[in-house]
Amino acid sequence: MSRRGKSPAGAPDEEGVLGKAYDARMIGRLWVYVRPYQLLVGLSLAVLFAVSAVQLVQPYLLKRAIDGPIRERRPEELPYWAALFIATLLAEFGLRFAQLYLLERTGQNVVFDLRNAVFSHLQRLPSAFFDRNPVGRLMTRVTTDVESLNEAFTSGLVLILADLAKLVAIVAILLAMDWRLALVTFAVLPPMLLLSWGFRVRIRAAYREVRSRVARLNAFLQEAVSGMRLIQLFRRQAHDYGTFTAINGGHRDAELRGVRYDSAFSAIVDLMGSLTLAGIVWVGGARILGGGVSFGTLVAFIAYAERFFRPLEELSQRYAVMQAAMASSERIFGLLDTPAGIVSPADPVAIRGRLRGEVAFERVSFAYEGGEPVLRDLSFRVGAGERIGIVGWTGAGKSTLIKLLVRLYDVSAGRITLDGVDLRDYRLDDLRRGVGVVLQDPFLFAGTVEANVSLGDPRIGPEAVRRAAAMVRADRFIARLPHGYAEEIRERGVNLSVGEKQLLSFARAIAFDPAVLVLDEATSSVDRATEAAIQQALDVVLRGRTSLVIAHRLVTVQDADRVLVLHHGRLHEAGTHVELMARDEGIYRTLYSLQSATG
Amino acid sequence: MRGQLLEFARPYRRRFLLGVLLLVLTNAFTLLLPWLLRGAIAAIERGAAAAVVGWYATAMIAAALVQAVIRTGSRLTILGASRHIVFDIRNRFFAHLERLGASYFDSHRTGDIMSRGVNDLLLLRSLYGPGVLNLLNTALVFTGGVALMLSLDLTLTLWALAPFPILFLVVSLLSRRVFAQSVAVQEQLGALSTRAQENLSGIQQVKAYVQEEREAAAFRELGAEFRRRSLAMATLRGLMLALIAGFAGLGTLVVLFVGGQHVLAGRMTFADFVAFNATLGLLAWPTVALGWIVNVFQRGVGAMQRIQEVLAAVPDISPAGETGADGPPLDGAIEIRGLTFRFGGAQGAALTDLDLRVERGSRVAIVGEVGSGKSTLVNLLARVYPCPPGTIFIAGEDLAALPVGRVRRSIGYVPQEAFLFSRSLRDNIALGRPDASDEELSRAVALAGLTRDLGDFPDGLETIVGERGFTLSGGQRQRVALARALLTNPRLVLLDDALSSVDADTERGILEALGRDLRGRTCLLISHRFSTLAGADRILVFAAGRIVEDGTHADLLARDGIYARLFRRHLLQERLEEVS
Repeated sequence: MSRRGKSPAGAPDEEGVLGKAYDARMIGRLWVYVRPYQLLVGLSLAVLFAVSAVQLVQPYLLKRAIDGPIRERRPEELPYWAALFIATLLAEFGLRFAQLYLLERTGQNVVFDLRNAVFSHLQRLPSAFFDRNPVGRLMTRVTTDVESLNEAFTSGLVLILADLAKLVAIVAILLAMDWRLALVTFAVLPPMLLLSWGFRVRIRAAYREVRSRVARLNAFLQEAVSGMRLIQLFRRQAHDYGTFTAINGGHRDAELRGVRYDSAFSAIVDLMGSLTLAGIVWVGGARILGGGVSFGTLVAFIAYAERFFRPLEELSQRYAVMQAAMASSERIFGLLDTPAGIVSPADPVAIRGRLRGEVAFERVSFAYEGGEPVLRDLSFRVGAGERIGIVGWTGAGKSTLIKLLVRLYDVSAGRITLDGVDLRDYRLDDLRRGVGVVLQDPFLFAGTVEANVSLGDPRIGPEAVRRAAAMVRADRFIARLPHGYAEEIRERGVNLSVGEKQLLSFARAIAFDPAVLVLDEATSSVDRATEAAIQQALDVVLRGRTSLVIAHRLVTVQDADRVLVLHHGRLHEAGTHVELMARDEGIYRTLYSLQSATG
Repeated sequence: MRGQLLEFARPYRRRFLLGVLLLVLTNAFTLLLPWLLRGAIAAIERGAAAAVVGWYATAMIAAALVQAVIRTGSRLTILGASRHIVFDIRNRFFAHLERLGASYFDSHRTGDIMSRGVNDLLLLRSLYGPGVLNLLNTALVFTGGVALMLSLDLTLTLWALAPFPILFLVVSLLSRRVFAQSVAVQEQLGALSTRAQENLSGIQQVKAYVQEEREAAAFRELGAEFRRRSLAMATLRGLMLALIAGFAGLGTLVVLFVGGQHVLAGRMTFADFVAFNATLGLLAWPTVALGWIVNVFQRGVGAMQRIQEVLAAVPDISPAGETGADGPPLDGAIEIRGLTFRFGGAQGAALTDLDLRVERGSRVAIVGEVGSGKSTLVNLLARVYPCPPGTIFIAGEDLAALPVGRVRRSIGYVPQEAFLFSRSLRDNIALGRPDASDEELSRAVALAGLTRDLGDFPDGLETIVGERGFTLSGGQRQRVALARALLTNPRLVLLDDALSSVDADTERGILEALGRDLRGRTCLLISHRFSTLAGADRILVFAAGRIVEDGTHADLLARDGIYARLFRRHLLQERLEEVS
């Protein structure tokens, strides 16, 4: 309940659909994840059956104790039966504990593997997939759906099997003890099942209605809270209060309907138990008087009847659990079946030694899925060690260049080469290690400062981390952190300033020493001292490698070997700062005067 | 908190009383069953006629039937009351939210308010419903059951009840630990989710830095800890459930061993023995439920506290100001004298020593950097935030002393963000005038330049828009918000950068139409568009909470100050656009 409560607006429709409780195809696919733990599953099942067996022995012991020592007045035998009873109690205690633990353990193990599989698969899916699927929906796969599978283990399929076995066993025992009395006990079964089925359908319908009302209620509340200013400005308080009360009332009435069915149902289940008791007393009493059965049998029958009803009541609950689990696995496997998209080639070009760092765009065009072309027929060449500035108006396609260079997306047409080799012919990891990226808003991973520089690469030891930090002068602020290099980065770096994050990402770039570095200059404003520190660090970072700097302030590109001006996805101008400034009507010159005008 | 809990239950005290009465009857009939069972067994033992046994069985059936009816009634009464109480609290909650000012919503996140209005109310429902029901039921079952058992056999009763205090103690001890562990499990689940959320939100960077495997490993580690905690939880829960089951059996054992001896010694009849066993069986579940009940009450009290925090928040505007005497609409003359305004908790002032006179019917444009105080001024005029008394005068009257309703009726305010409710377009536009006629509506729609767009919407004015409905473009949404404000026929129109997503030509058209229509109305508009600014009677340039330049477009260009610099930048931008 608490988990559901966390998405008050109600989950999207696709999450709510329930269907089959058993789907052979899904079970087959789940089996792959269960197989490693089949021993555990087997053990759980064995223990489950043992628990049932022990529970079924107890009424029998009661019967023997009543018929033997108590009715036939043999007091010396009483301790013997009591001891046996104690033994079953102890066994029940131990076995039940083992059962609960083992089931949970099986479920947790399976779900652990499955969750990791989902997460790992998500890591491999292409960026375009994430453009289509909001993070919230993917989160549901990793958390809620996986959890509902765990529930299928702890209170689903295995228990259904055990319950069925128990029912069969009780039927057999009762028939063996006295078939006439057994039939009386079972007589209540058909009406019970019928009623139960009828009620369950109604109760489920009632609660479906409640859920949809809750979703409406909460959606209205959420919207009212978000738009409260408007409600007040337009003096709608009374009107909206009326609407809210009406929705709230509808919700209450739906709940009351549910309560009505619920109350009646639980009373009727009780009633069935009592009626069975009465039936056993009636027929059993007559049978005792006729000499057909013993008192012990009568008492045992009463006890068995009780044990007979409980699994029946729980079956429908277990059914719902299985339904939810099947729907969840459908969604999980749907995700796992999504192809990874951008992958390494089967026969990648090996990189020997250090890349030279020659980059070429050859008639590259690119459009995001279902979007307008962002890059159109773009061609340029960057020599090894060259320092390139890229400028352009917002939306000119600058950031897209970065994403294409590290193959977050693949070009729609044309090709990009690195050292003369198509990017798509490299191993993905090799490529992304060879082309370093420093983004506008530097991304910090959960972990320590040190881990954020080395990124866990064993080749980059603590020494290298410190050297890199010192080179970009990040060492000074790191030294001021309470735990220095061991400081934990919180929530993507809320405990660091923008400038500090920037320096840290520069240190990372130095430590990895990529042949090509693509840098998206930060737009966020920092104070002058930080700005100077960043500029200095930038010079250090760019030295000795090919660099493409996406500049938002033209000051940054003034010392570039060459400046490329993008406009609407095309290369519009290229040249040094001086050359470009010489063009009268050029974009660069316009941009430049624009920036100097506003300082 | 107990006071609050009782206060909300008070209107339903008769219902609860009836519930108690029905529960007493329910339990009386429940206890009738072992008593009748005893009679039946005694009859069998005596060797009475089968008809006598049949009579007892019939009586049992009758008792069970009556009991089922009364039980249904008792549950209906008490569980029903809980739904009514929650309905009341939820209404109170909503009504109070409606009275709270913008500053409350600035400092409390929607998610937090929602969590109180959703999750905490669920906890309260559990307290008033199953919580109260089970508490009463447990008390009654124990009273009746123990009385019946005592009447059957005193010493056996003591023997049989001996394990119960231990069971109760163990269960309540364990359930506290189970609860603590479940919090730990939830926490770890939260950590797991946060990690996944961070990863998925930054997936491109993860890929660019080749961190997929490390991220997966870190995630696996968190998952392993989650598994560890879940298993620790399973251990505790398993222990508790196994103990409960064991103790239930222990009762049977005591009856069998001690009771059996009593029967053999002739101190107890066999019928009493069977009836005693049956009665003891009735006590097992209520005992177990006690631990649960305590938990429900604890969590319910916490929930009441959190809801009470909202209900106790004091609105910016007093109830008197909310309902004060209405009057004719105010005309749009504005005078501001020495206004300094600071947001609660903020360091610096948002507006400093502001003086301004705006003539009725004039069109004044405001320009300035983000955070320069433009929106604050507009918000104060619309009384979104309370203004200091004696600083703002509308139509010559002190704004702070005017009834809020009258102020808002006279003002048409279009905020920066065009918020649409998930309702029909008509409802969205008629927000302030639900009674507006179709002609009035279509006039507002036309003024806001929306008439042509209506054809694109599947159901015209009846199209459901917003989060769950038809998606409007940013510009369309802004024009809907404008139509909404214009429909109220305001004397003073405040546009807070309200047409930023509308293209410049459309905006010009709208403003021209407005200019013709707005005659006699004052219009204050914040904008960054020079086409808009230049058309105003007067332009105010804001910087750091002050008005630093004031004049017509030509005046300000001649001054060669901030405005002139902004204008030159704009011209350059335009040139750049023309390059393509």
